[in-house]
This record gives sequence, C-alpha cells and structure tokens, in this order.
Amino acid sequence: MRGRGLRAPPPISLMTRGSLFLRKIIWALITIFVVITFNFFLFRVLPGDPAKAGVKDPRLSPQAVAALQQRFGLDKPVLFNTQGGNLFDSQYFRYLGALAQGDLGTSYAYKSRPVTSMLGRALVNTLWLVLPAQILAIVLGVLLGLVAAWRRGTKLDVSALIFALFTWALPTFFLGILLLFVGSRYLGLPTGGRITIGADYASFWATAGDVLRHLLLPTLTFALVLLGEYMLIMRSSVVEVFSEDYILTAKAKGLTTFQIIRRHAFRNAMLPIVTLIALNLGFTVSGAIQVETVFSWPGLGKLTVDAVAQRDYPLLQGAFLMLAVSVVVANLVAELVYLRLDPRVTEV
Amino acid sequence: MKHRTLALLLGLLLVLAACGDDGGEETTTTVTTAPPTTTGGTVRIGWGGAPADLNPGIGVLIEDYTLYELVYNTPISLDLDGNYVPELATDWYVSDDDLVWTMKLAEGVTFHDGTPLTSEDVKFTLELYRDTEDFVFMPSYFDGDEVIEAPDPTTVTITKEVPTGSFEGRMVFMYILPKHIWENEDPATFDNAAMIGSGSFKLTEYRQGEYLRLAANKDYWGGAPIVDEVIFQTFENADARVQALINGDVDMVTEFPATAIPTLEANPNITVATGEPLAPDLTDIIFNVTEPEDCPADDGICTGHPALRDLQVRRALAQAVDKQQLITTLLLGLGTPGRAIVPTGLGVWFNDALEDYAFDLNEANRLLDEAGYLDTDDNGIRECPAAMDCGDRPELRFRLNYPEDSDTAPRLAQTLADWWQQIGVDLQIQVLDSDTLTSVCCPSFDYDVIIWGWGSDPDPGFLLSVLTCEEIPTGTNESGYCNPEYDALYAAQQAETDLDTRVAMVHEMQQILMDDLPYIIPFCALSSQAYRNDRFVGWRDDATKLALEDPTSLDVIRPAG
Repeated sequence: MRGRGLRAPPPISLMTRGSLFLRKIIWALITIFVVITFNFFLFRVLPGDPAKAGVKDPRLSPQAVAALQQRFGLDKPVLFNTQGGNLFDSQYFRYLGALAQGDLGTSYAYKSRPVTSMLGRALVNTLWLVLPAQILAIVLGVLLGLVAAWRRGTKLDVSALIFALFTWALPTFFLGILLLFVGSRYLGLPTGGRITIGADYASFWATAGDVLRHLLLPTLTFALVLLGEYMLIMRSSVVEVFSEDYILTAKAKGLTTFQIIRRHAFRNAMLPIVTLIALNLGFTVSGAIQVETVFSWPGLGKLTVDAVAQRDYPLLQGAFLMLAVSVVVANLVAELVYLRLDPRVTEV
Repeated sequence: MKHRTLALLLGLLLVLAACGDDGGEETTTTVTTAPPTTTGGTVRIGWGGAPADLNPGIGVLIEDYTLYELVYNTPISLDLDGNYVPELATDWYVSDDDLVWTMKLAEGVTFHDGTPLTSEDVKFTLELYRDTEDFVFMPSYFDGDEVIEAPDPTTVTITKEVPTGSFEGRMVFMYILPKHIWENEDPATFDNAAMIGSGSFKLTEYRQGEYLRLAANKDYWGGAPIVDEVIFQTFENADARVQALINGDVDMVTEFPATAIPTLEANPNITVATGEPLAPDLTDIIFNVTEPEDCPADDGICTGHPALRDLQVRRALAQAVDKQQLITTLLLGLGTPGRAIVPTGLGVWFNDALEDYAFDLNEANRLLDEAGYLDTDDNGIRECPAAMDCGDRPELRFRLNYPEDSDTAPRLAQTLADWWQQIGVDLQIQVLDSDTLTSVCCPSFDYDVIIWGWGSDPDPGFLLSVLTCEEIPTGTNESGYCNPEYDALYAAQQAETDLDTRVAMVHEMQQILMDDLPYIIPFCALSSQAYRNDRFVGWRDDATKLALEDPTSLDVIRPAG
C-alpha cells in the first residue's frame, strides 16, 4: 500500500547514469596512467644496472655495455632531457610514446623479441588454462555452496565445507604435484607441456584431443584451488539470504524450496559472488603461476617467473602493465554490473 | 635458467649442487660393438631451461650453447676427456715465431642449405665475432691484433702480433656461420630463426620456453646421426621432469634433484650417470684482502676487516673448513674438493699436486694464538693484537654475504659460522640479492667475506685473470688480491704456445694462490643425468665429463633392441 505524500525515488535519469559511467572510466584511465608511471620508475630505482641485468659477465667489455645501453635507450636521461636538445627525449617519454603505439619494448633476455608478441602468445595459453578452470570452479563452487546452505547442518553441508576448506588451504604446487603424479602414472596423462611434440595427428580433432589431455590436470588443479572460495562465499551468502523476511514470506505463500531458491535466494545471494568473479578474472592475466610452473604450461605466469629470474625488466614492466590494466578493467566491469544488479547502488 | 660462464653463476651451481649421493659411482650402458641394427627414432630430452637466443653472438644461457653445439661446427672441439680434437679443422699448427696459426679445413663440408662451407665463411665468422661490439662473449676470445686470411678454400691463417697460448680454447666457441646469410644482416639484432649451420642436426621448430625440435642432418659431412629427430622439452618443475622420465614421456633428463637419485636408480629401465659438468664451475669463499694502496680510486670504499689481510688469519680460517664434510652434506657427495681457482674438471690445467690445508681446529686456534689474536675480554671472540690498527672493529667479527639465489650458500654459511666460532671468529651472515652483492663486492670492496661462484671456459686463462692486479678496478677481481709475481706468470702463460710449459706455469700460479689464500674453494660440483636404457643405447656416459645432450652422444645413440 502506497502512502500519500510518499514519493517513489525518481528513476535515475540517463544523464546521471551516463555521467557516472563516464566518471568511472576516467578514474580507471587515471589509475592506469599512474600505474604505468609507477611501473616505469619502480624498475629504475632497483639496484643494479638494467643494461647489465641480462648479462652478468665481467668480461662484458665497456663497449658492449655501451652498445647494449644504446640499444635499449638506457643512455638517455630518465625523466627530462636537460642536456640540450629535445626536453622530452628521455627514457620515460620514449616509453610513453612507444606504449601509445602498443610497443612494450624489446626483452632484455630474449634480445630480438618484442615484449608485446611474447605477452600476447603467453596470454592466449593462459586463457586456455584459466578460463575453463574459472568456469568449472564458478559453476561447481556456486552449486556446492547453494546445496550446502540449503542442507545446512547436515552431513552433506559438513562434508562440502570440509572439502572446500581443504582444497582452499592446500598449497597449489603441492596439489599440482600430487595430481601430476597420480594422473601421469595411473591415468596415462602427460607430465607437462601444451602438446605432444612431434606427434602427427591426422585431424584437427585428434590435435584438439591431445591439447585437452594436456590441459586436464592443470585445469583440474586450478579449478580445485579456486573452487573452495566460491563455495564458501556462496554458502554464507545464501545462508544470510535465507534468514531474510522475504524468504519467510515466500515460504508462507507456500512456494516450494526450489522456487524460493530460484526466484528469491539465488539472485540476491549472487551479489558477493559477482564481485569475487570480477576480481578473480582481473587477476587471470597474472596467470596461474604455480600451476603453470608445475605443468610447464607456457602461460603468463611462467613467463613472469622467468622474467623475474632473468631480471628482464621490459618484459616484467609489460606483464605488470597488463595485470594492472586487467585488474582495473575487471573492477570497472564489476561496478557496472552492480549498477544493473543492485538498484541500491546508484550514486557514488 | 643459467648463464654459461657467468661470474655470478650460482644458478648453475644450484642445479648441480643439488645432485646425488652415490659418490661418483659409475654406471655404464652395455655398449655392444656390433653395427647398429636399428636406426631412426625420436629422442626426447627433458630439461629445466630453454634457449633464449638463436644468434650465437648474443646467447648467454647454457641451453643456448647446447643448441649451437648441435647446429654448428667449430674449427676445434673439446672432447669429453678434455682434449682438443679436430672438427672443421683437420689440422692446425703455429709458425716457429709463435705468431701465425694455420688451420686446414675438412673438405666437402656443406651448410644445411647446401652451400659449401669454405675458409671464406671461417674468416667472415671470426671477424664478425671479433668486431661486433654488441656480442656478449665472442669479442673476449680475440685480442684485436688478429689478421685473418683465407689463402685457399680449405686454409685459414690467423696472424697475431702477440703470441697466444689459448688458441685452441678460443676456437672451441667459434661457431662457423654461413657468410652468404649473415653478411646481409645486422649481426647484433639478427634473430637467426632459420639457424643455418653445418652441424649434425638442423633446427626444425623452436617454441620459446616450450620446446625445440631438431632433425638429423642426413647429409652431415662427418657422418649422419643414427636417430632421426631430437626434441628438447622444457619442464620447469624438477619433480615433473623426474616423473616424465619414469613414465617414459622423455628418454633423458639433463638435470634433476639429488633426492631423486635413489628412486631413479631403483628403476631397472633408468640409468643414472655422474661426471664433471661440461662447463666446470666452482664455489668460492672470497676474502677481502684489498690493501689500502690498491683501493680503486673511483669506486673503492674498502671496508674489509684488516685482520683478513693477515695471511696467518686466512690460513687459520682455511684449516677450519672441512671440505669433505661440506660435499657430503651440501652436495650429497656429488662434488670434489677444490683447491685454487682452477676447477677440478679442467683436465690438465688443474694442479692436483697441490697440498690442501687439513681440517684441524686445534691447529687453527694455535695459528691465531701465535699471531697474537687473543680473546682478551673473554667473550668467545678474539681481538686484534694491540699492535695492529683494527679501527673500530677490534674483534674478529666478519660480515659474510652470499647471493639469495644460491641453494648451497645458506647451509655453507651456517656451517662455516659453526666451525669458525670454535676458533674465536664470529660471522654476521647477511643474504643479498645478486645486484646488491655486486655493489658491496667489487670494485667497492665494502665487505669482509663473500660466498659466490665462477664458471669456467675450457681454457683457464680467464679464471686466472680474475686475481690479477689489473682486474681490481674493473670489479672482476673480487678479493682485491694483488701479487706482481702472479701477474708476471699470468702474462707469460697467456703468450706461451707450448702446452707443457704453459701447464707448468698455470700449476705454479695455483700454488701461489694456495699459499696466499685470497679464496677458499670448498668444492666443485659434479653433475648427474639420467636416461631410459630401454629406449636408446650408446649414450656416452663413460668419459670424464658428462653431457648426454651433446652431439658426442646424440650423434651416436641408436634405438634399443
């Protein structure tokens, strides 16, 4: 019953929504720019000469060091060129300029390789591994969480809880090695890599089957690691929703449990999960470092680890940038999805 | 991943250091002398790293050089027992005045693309390696005074102004490139994706960080390999690598943790082999012995403890190190005690007649007492003698630094601290990342003791140069050691072309270092590899050095059965 004089809140005008959207995007862009700058200087305050970083041999002659420095532009001043000539002919502005053209520079360790193409290829491999694992973890985690909350206090709930806590707490590399051992020894699955090298498959499907065989263990490992968190959040979220008055009302109306879950509980309980998914997807490009290392999967995580080990600053800088951008974008997407899902989130 | 000869080459040490406990047990395959009955097959090799550069001028990783060895030929080669043997050069000799080296090349050698390899290619390659400043190691194998000529298609002469004693040692890294391809490229940035060489294997596929495929060069001038193909696959995780061998996903692994040896040896289809690494290396305990007058003017901070400049103190410290104990506990037996700076794996160059300092804590204590370092305040740490100026550090309390990326250094440091504490010397251990370590080390000499490592060329020349006075300001000489007698011998052996005379000089230099103790070399690590004996047979695991991924094995192995 609507009381007189009580006005419904005005619908958010398109303009307000539009400007909110715009504002969020501008903030995201500013964040990314700050990250770019921070990234750039971060690697230049670290001890050691980046030109020598790839080559730690005292026999490297001064000429060779100078040639390397020139090749990587490290002979230029860092921020402003105050030695005459163009003020902006410095490492920082050259970096920005190249970045604007999508050029992340050349790897120190792999001297004839552009960072962009190395990251691109690794990203594709990472997505092959991480996306199926995420989807598997989300679907299973959400379902398991829902069932556990629904059957709260039963043996089913307790087992699901223990399982989720266990997989969540298990160190990734340990789980990976266990699965690798069991899978490769007893199920005949490969011990690592992306494909069976040198195998000539007759058809596309046979090749795809081979890749799938290689993907199975790493995907399973990563999915198990992620699953626990989704399950726990979903469970507590559903439990909370179940205690709301409107659920009681729904019960009173005589709806079946299934109807209650489907119509009322599920959508409301999904809010925290959406946040979690968005944040997790943001970190997707950091790759599943440990899983990739255990299974020799040539993704972004492995590339980043190698870059750290070899002090490959341009490659690291590129990987960090990609990670930062995707986290910012994922956050942005989460906020925008929230705008749609939850009418309470209107003004900032 | 590891650098080939890198000074700061702990990466390599780690892997090697982590090996085995069978104390050099030699396992040999049943090599039959009958001609091969089966041929062909694909050999799969699992390793921990991957090549980063196909261009031999800019490669620095061990894995890069493994690939170059398979795809290219060098004029002279080093066999697994440490002897220089002919490869492209069937014969070589030096003129009577020690200045003109002549190499006679094999006939009928062709590159993978069918072009003949002639003396012009050799001349072009040597000049390219000498003159390309961007190249990492190659220019260091030249003095800059070489005049290289190709008087006929199978003869190369190298005329020098100053004689060199390490001609062969330099030639083993001269991977001969095809002139008709390289002359059109910028050598510093050429990616060399097609990798046309003249070696027994051709690169057919290269996936950065994943795998390499090499096809046997069936037209190889030196006799084609028996197998058809070799695949190198990267398994970053050592346990996965071991599992891959056990499951038969790979036929050989180039490195694995020592803890896996019992498991692997228990498997009848797997053979574990042990030997000196192809590129020998050593771990060193470096003392800062920089005298104030030698402190580099530009970069020197030189805060080394004065007591370390006292030979008597260094001798006492050396007598308080049990090398055999370290090898047993740190390397699970897979190592040999080091002496001076030449590694044990360097064949004739290593002076095995050197007498080492026996582990004797009483004698060490006696030496310190005798030199006047007494514990006057009874706190368990000795003090400098009254007559000695130790500044604000009167006690024998030394800083000990080591790089964070070393496996063995943490336990080595702790063990040293325990031993040295028993002779009244206190160690303050601090781990540093390798850049920071470089900055405290040299040429700033802002340290007391450092644990680090060196890798070696087949020729001892470079390692011996490390301890010359000239290298103090460059930062290559990490201890600040300066001895004119040593320097004179160094210069003489560099120019000595007679092998025996040069060996004698190199041995004498090691004796000097053994007496003067700028370093303690606790050990040189051995390497171990394992292969499936039910897949391929004929692996060369019986030589002094072990490198199953080398052409010396891959050219001759054949399918089992």
